[in-house]
Amino acid sequence: MDLMTRLQNVDSRVIYVILLIALSLPLLFPMGIPMQVDPMVRAVYDIIEGLDPETDKVLLSIDYSPGAGLDAEVSPVAVVEHLTQRGIKWVAISFGTPDGPMMTNRIIDSLEQRGYEYGKDFANLGYMAGEENAIRLFALDCLSVPTDVRGNRTADLPVMQGIKNVKDFAFVMQFSSSGPEMWIRQVVDPMGVPFATGTVTVSVPAIIPYYHSGQVKGIMGGVSSAAQYELLCNNPGRGASLMDAQSMGHLIIILFIVLGNIGYFMTKDKKQSAGS
Amino acid sequence: MRKEAPLLITFVVALIVMLSQVTTGNVPGLGISMPVLFERYISPWMTVVSAFSLCLASVNLIVIHSRNVSRKQPEWIYSLILLGSLVLYGAWCTYVQINPDNAAAAATYSLLYNNILSPLMTGQWACLAFYVASASYRAFRARNLEATVLLVSAILVMLGATPVGGVIWSKFPVIQRWLIDVPNMTGQRALLIGAAIGSFVACLRTMLGIERSHLGIGGGS
Repeated sequence: MDLMTRLQNVDSRVIYVILLIALSLPLLFPMGIPMQVDPMVRAVYDIIEGLDPETDKVLLSIDYSPGAGLDAEVSPVAVVEHLTQRGIKWVAISFGTPDGPMMTNRIIDSLEQRGYEYGKDFANLGYMAGEENAIRLFALDCLSVPTDVRGNRTADLPVMQGIKNVKDFAFVMQFSSSGPEMWIRQVVDPMGVPFATGTVTVSVPAIIPYYHSGQVKGIMGGVSSAAQYELLCNNPGRGASLMDAQSMGHLIIILFIVLGNIGYFMTKDKKQSAGS
Repeated sequence: MRKEAPLLITFVVALIVMLSQVTTGNVPGLGISMPVLFERYISPWMTVVSAFSLCLASVNLIVIHSRNVSRKQPEWIYSLILLGSLVLYGAWCTYVQINPDNAAAAATYSLLYNNILSPLMTGQWACLAFYVASASYRAFRARNLEATVLLVSAILVMLGATPVGGVIWSKFPVIQRWLIDVPNMTGQRALLIGAAIGSFVACLRTMLGIERSHLGIGGGS
């Protein structure tokens, strides 16, 4: 087999090993490649910057599971850090997956270790079955969830005082591994609540029409958006640390695609000249 | 009656849901409006049904995998692990929910979740990166015009979406933004509108009883 044919048939295991090295090295030796901030990410940042910590509260719909990986997990952490920095109270609930409350607990654990108070600064209302219908039910009556994940009465939580329906939240943000269509249909369009979404990178192209129509005010797509958000908050964290690895991973994939095509064209020319 | 009752329930509920979006006045004889009827009665009931469907899924899983284990079907050991995990996580989580004051039980459940289930699920997602790398290497060949357009777009989006693209050439993020905002959005909008019309037609067929496969009594007419 000549070199050009080999270029078209590189063993998958070789690609895996090279990719693994390309992803691992920047994690061990960060390069700090400069980033540009996407307008969709800045929009989320600007909304939260515009909130009043004295009066405004934020609702977070945590609808992803560990199966969506870090791509889904780093964005809510970045946004919650920003909310915490600004002293804005928030409430989390899950409609998309029963794993949601566990994912919220991970964020809460870190805040409690730093002295923030559960029930006063934030709360986790758990999972509500029914997906789209449950979103509507909760939007109309936020006390339809009788207790939080710790067994406290929702109506008694200090953070829930003054909250009757979803319009009492100044801003709603959903984090999921898919799209925000259910929220748009049941809450954003009929109730006019400011809404943004965080999702995995591959889901962003499908959400773009809602961003340009104004139904979704901002989008955070995966690790890169989280890294940009951390940059805006001057608080580099997990997202920023993963970006060098992502850059190297993309370069390796592009390199293999280019090599495969070089091999393809070189052998194609040979085959054509042999045939003529 | 086995056919008619579910079809009648489907029709009535669907009618209430549809009318609740477009009417405001009281229903003659009932004294309440369609939106109130939906929000007070239908909506909570749908949530209860959804919660029961989760239980039903668990029962179904137990029945299928118990059968695999009892008949020693091929790879029955995985069924046994699944049943064991289901019982362990289910029982533990139920205990935590019933006894919210027991912090030690909640902490141990979190430990099991965060250190066994979560890494397994995240690991599966991470493996995708390697499969995607290998698959794109094999699939992205400029065999014709369409494939070439796809290949060039993919490379531009990949370069524009990562910081290194902006370092190589400052226009890569601009080009990526344009590809996502213009050609992608046009296609996505067309898909969304098409899918919405399709969904409406499917709902109408279900509501009118033309589509019956969801009831397990045969397909459409």
